[in-house]
Amino acid sequence: MKLRFQITKEKEIRFISHLEYVRTIGRAIRRAKLPAAYSQGFNPHMKYSLASALGVGVVSYAEFVELELAEPVNPLAAAEAFMKALPRGIRVLAVDAVETNAPALMSVAGGAEYRVTIPWTGDIASAVDDFNRAETVMFEKQAPKAKEKVKKIDVKFYISDLSAIKRENETELHFHCRITHNGSMKAVDLLNTLNEQYGLQLPVEKADIERLDLYRVDEMGNRWPMLDSLFEQG
Amino acid sequence: MNKELTIDMLAAVKKPARYTGGEFGSIYKEEAEVRIALAFPDVYEVGMSYLGFKILYHLVNKMDGIAAERAYAPWIDMEQLMRERNVTLTTLETKKALSECDLVGFTLQYELSYTNILNMLDLGGVSVLAAERGEEEPFVVVGGPCVFNPEPLADIFDFAILGEGEEALPEVLSCYQGWKREGRPGGRKGFLHRVVKIPGVYVPSFYDVSYNEDNTIQSVTPNTPDAPATVTKRVVADLNKVDFPTAPVVPFGEIVHDRIMLEMFRGCSRGCRFCHAGMVYRPVRERRPEVLREIAHKQVDNTGYEEISLVSLSTADYSCLGPFLDEMIADFKDRKVSVSLPSLRIDAFSVDVAKKVQAVRKSGLTFAPEAGSQRMRDVINKGVTEEDLLHAVSAAFENGWKKVKLYFMIGLPGETDEDVLAIAQLARKVQWKFKEITGKGGCQVTVSASSFVPKPYTAFQWAPQDTLEEIHRKQGLLIEATRLKNITFQYHDGQTSIMEGVFARGDRRLGKALYLAWQRGQRFDGWADVFDFDRWQQALKDCGLDPDFYSHRQRGEGEVFPWEHLQPAVNRGFLANEYKKAQKEILTPDCRQGNCNGCGVCQRLGVPVMDWGNRSYDASKETNFVSLAEKMAGGDNCSYSIATQRPGLPGKGGSAE
Ligand code: SF4
Repeated sequence: MKLRFQITKEKEIRFISHLEYVRTIGRAIRRAKLPAAYSQGFNPHMKYSLASALGVGVVSYAEFVELELAEPVNPLAAAEAFMKALPRGIRVLAVDAVETNAPALMSVAGGAEYRVTIPWTGDIASAVDDFNRAETVMFEKQAPKAKEKVKKIDVKFYISDLSAIKRENETELHFHCRITHNGSMKAVDLLNTLNEQYGLQLPVEKADIERLDLYRVDEMGNRWPMLDSLFEQG
Repeated sequence: MNKELTIDMLAAVKKPARYTGGEFGSIYKEEAEVRIALAFPDVYEVGMSYLGFKILYHLVNKMDGIAAERAYAPWIDMEQLMRERNVTLTTLETKKALSECDLVGFTLQYELSYTNILNMLDLGGVSVLAAERGEEEPFVVVGGPCVFNPEPLADIFDFAILGEGEEALPEVLSCYQGWKREGRPGGRKGFLHRVVKIPGVYVPSFYDVSYNEDNTIQSVTPNTPDAPATVTKRVVADLNKVDFPTAPVVPFGEIVHDRIMLEMFRGCSRGCRFCHAGMVYRPVRERRPEVLREIAHKQVDNTGYEEISLVSLSTADYSCLGPFLDEMIADFKDRKVSVSLPSLRIDAFSVDVAKKVQAVRKSGLTFAPEAGSQRMRDVINKGVTEEDLLHAVSAAFENGWKKVKLYFMIGLPGETDEDVLAIAQLARKVQWKFKEITGKGGCQVTVSASSFVPKPYTAFQWAPQDTLEEIHRKQGLLIEATRLKNITFQYHDGQTSIMEGVFARGDRRLGKALYLAWQRGQRFDGWADVFDFDRWQQALKDCGLDPDFYSHRQRGEGEVFPWEHLQPAVNRGFLANEYKKAQKEILTPDCRQGNCNGCGVCQRLGVPVMDWGNRSYDASKETNFVSLAEKMAGGDNCSYSIATQRPGLPGKGGSAE
């Protein structure tokens, strides 16, 4: 049996790294005394994984942990115990249970929903219009290691349209981003694209990025929740 | 006041999780009558590994109306951003600026962290100099091992607590709470006059220091009748009766000691003559095995950690270590929790222990012979022979280990080049032993040599420290002598040892240089890549101070030291005698199980050595723990190897000599 939890990474802990987040989840599972399965061998590892790696600084309400169990448990009771063992800034939003050999959650994720809030009040409406109307919008993605290697991606393949709300001293962007087997694109790169292609001066480093959801997408393009949720919290 | 670390700041620095808190187990008390910041003068990963603050954090937060929060030194990248944007250093929990706390408590772990104290106060909006601190500002209190000579910081802190804080800190906080409730009678001075009455509390501004013409100390005398002539450290008589944290904060990221730290005992009775900790933490007091096991279970439940480290100054000396380990390993096997020891003794027993705790992991064993020649080991009272070491490594090799790390010091008093070179020879002998046992070559030996720094309250407090040239020369000798196959030589930067030496045995006059060096940009002096020796030398010079006076001078037998009004309760006469015995290469035995060597600690503190060794340990029979005091009163000391049979016990602490 495999438990799957939807958990959060909220504002107060947004700056812990993915590795730190993973370790924290592992320790919480141990504190919650969930009957986790371990790998064989001298250095046994708990069999759990996270569905996606979130960038440091990004808040998320849709992180997914899969935990393989050594013995079956009541998922709701497990979620409750897990919840109590988590630090502030991580909450359990949903749980379900599947067969151990069910496909990994990451392989079924088809898209993510984002909200980005930027302390900036320039004119963004026409850039948003242009972006939404464009067939393709190319972005040159710098590969992190080898500097010469620049990967060109079509932003529109991932993000078909976006909306913007202007407030007194900030601008909020809202969009969905496609996830494929070959990966996805980072929310922050959308901002870089807007700056480069439309001459905006968004202070990218100050952007408050939140992943609101992660979901499956069927052939018809319909969005489905990641879990067959048994238990949900607000 | 701007306290916010914004998204762009956190995104721009290394390891941002250092600054954001929120870890499991952290305690948030929004409303508190008294708030103390436990401020560690180094980065988060170092500070979070410090057991003392783990203990005090939980202890204080159990008190009604009193909150303890954590603060660490921001690394240079973050400090720069904070200064550019005028952001104040805050605690991790309720984000109070240090200036908004009632007290800011620093631990003095290491002399080279002093500049960070000044820097943190400044970043936290607190006046750096105690004399300039206004009525609304917090009190700055210090503790920790270097508190037995905090004189270079005398201008900075308001008061110090000497010794163990479990009992003293709550007393101090209650005293503060009372003073605050009464409307702060007498202002800052009024509080200091109150708090100084608590045993173990030292208020530096209550003492005047006069100097002789040759710059040595003439006297340190109280300038108020409220201050005692000497302040004696506090110790907890029975560690089984004080709280040990069962739910410590679990960090998100990896810290230096990222595991459960189970404190087995305090103090060390071996009496190595160079060792500061070995003197100032006396006497030895063990926790009972069943108490330790209970704490361990609770900690595993509450932290989710995968490893328990059995910590103390020399864990292998714990009286019932063998059976205790077996039980611990059995207890935690199914929960996938391993047990480890931070250090090993040089004997076959230790290898046996290592075998148990490391199982198949043959990563390498570490031993600390401390000196290369037998002569030097006798000088420092290490009480270990070459035979012991070869015996221990043989046991290790027989059990499959292929790597050994050996710790040494160079620059010990009376050291000759021959003694230095003996370090390399010893490493060779270890390799030969490997060949003899396994019939193969290829034994990896790492030789690590640090430079000896004489510390107050050790037998070598009178001794000159090697000069920088001398340190470099000796390091050079060893570099040459260890240029051998499969031997790696590691050594420490001599310049930091020199500055450590200046501050270790320094006096109040160094405060000026400390302030100046900090103003000129010194911080994180313990970090070799940041430390700037020349700037330190210049700062000392500009204050008219001679570093050689502090580090390279042979101190006179009768010289008054700047730290003698601060007492870890080790008799000066005992140390002087140890220094003489060192020169004559005479050993002093361990006092743990019977023969008191008269260092004075037990008698002066009225606290005996507590060691559970003289009987075989059987947990099933350990149900009725009769308190130590009762045992002592009843004269029943046959089953406990406590110091009751020793002269003068149980006497109350006497005065300094
Ligand atoms: S007083 Fe005696 S028994 Fe106690 S620590 Fe000193 S030497 Fe050891």
